[in-house]
Amino acid sequence: MFSKEKITLAYTVEKCMKCGLQKKRKFSDGDVLFAEVSKCNSCDGKSIIEKIFGETLEQ
Amino acid sequence: MTLMDFTNFDIDQLFGMKDDSNPFMMLIWILPIIIFIFYGQRIQLYVTSGEIKKGIKKLDEFREESRNELITYVNKNLKPTNNPEKKFDQFLDYFTIMPVDMDPNGIVEKVQHTVRSREDYTREHVKSIFSDIDDIELSKVQTLLEIASSLQMIHKIINHMFLTAKKQNNYPLILPLQMILPFIMEQAEAMKEAIPAFKRGQPVGDGIGPMVVGKMMLNNPKDTISFQTSLAKTNFENRNLFLIKAEGPGSTVGRPADALQTIVSQNKIDAVIMIDAALKMEGEESASIARGFGAAIGGIGTEKFHIEEVATQNQIPIFSIVIKQSVKEAITLMTKEIADQADNVRSQVYEMIKENTIEGHSVVVIGVGNTVGVPQ
Repeated sequence: MFSKEKITLAYTVEKCMKCGLQKKRKFSDGDVLFAEVSKCNSCDGKSIIEKIFGETLEQ
Repeated sequence: MTLMDFTNFDIDQLFGMKDDSNPFMMLIWILPIIIFIFYGQRIQLYVTSGEIKKGIKKLDEFREESRNELITYVNKNLKPTNNPEKKFDQFLDYFTIMPVDMDPNGIVEKVQHTVRSREDYTREHVKSIFSDIDDIELSKVQTLLEIASSLQMIHKIINHMFLTAKKQNNYPLILPLQMILPFIMEQAEAMKEAIPAFKRGQPVGDGIGPMVVGKMMLNNPKDTISFQTSLAKTNFENRNLFLIKAEGPGSTVGRPADALQTIVSQNKIDAVIMIDAALKMEGEESASIARGFGAAIGGIGTEKFHIEEVATQNQIPIFSIVIKQSVKEAITLMTKEIADQADNVRSQVYEMIKENTIEGHSVVVIGVGNTVGVPQ
């Protein structure tokens, strides 16, 4: 009867091309898949955006 | 065990028709029957009308909301010199008259011409409003315009059907509307919820095909092979791969049929593999993967027709991999479940290539779908 409000949050997953380390963060404007974003924290390799997706939460 | 005897009930007693029965009770029994005989349909019409009215009110809200989102987006991001509201309101009212199909010969070319003319017209006019708009923003505005225009059209048609039935006091006329309304509402809600993803340039569920092929294209030189369509050539286990997808990260589906036609006219192709999102059936799991034969591509049907025609003329088998999802999932921000399947689909594409071709063969791999947020 009282349905909970659903909100979808967008996330970006960065993946290091060298060591495969993944980092999940909130989506920020301008993010597109396969874009080189930063250097990997653990091996200094290149990180690219591997996935962009939404997760739905009930409030 | 004792069985109940149903044969000895008294009908008079059951309906209270004995001499000593209450006439008031008799009236309570008979009056509704009389009312329902003469006014049954009208009562049903009122009950159903209430439900449909709620749906139409929602559709009107969606229409208004999508229009406002479009105008706000344009004013905020593209800084137009003149107020574009009037111009956009004109676009929203544009209609497309489909070609006559009494003689179906050549109908596909006619439909394609009509649809492409509309797209070209909108593109050129949006360009003329914003002199320095780039192609990505242009494709976003075009998609938002398409959503707002579709919601406007849906509202108009449903409202027309409802008012006609009401005007005629015709209950049977309102029945088909009552039956299709839940499906229409599902589509309209999905369209309304698609707006934020397109505004922010985020990948949608339908973009899984371009996402898979886009990653296969990485680190390979790319060319524009047909309008808004990208091609990359690569090698996999001594097979030549021609990778095609719509040019991202703008919101477009490209023209894969034209691209395939060009490749086939210049090369001997041994197989075509298409990757696309497909509507899941009720009960099917979202993001499940299925393999099959035939051209996996949606839309109005013209692209599919041309792909099939090229494949048939050149005796090229078409294999397809689809990722199941609902209407809403297909046009809203890609879900985690769908995004997580990208690697699996990619490995299945390579597996399919190995299974169906031999060394030295050439294969065209097409990532079908809207490529918003998915470059190559």
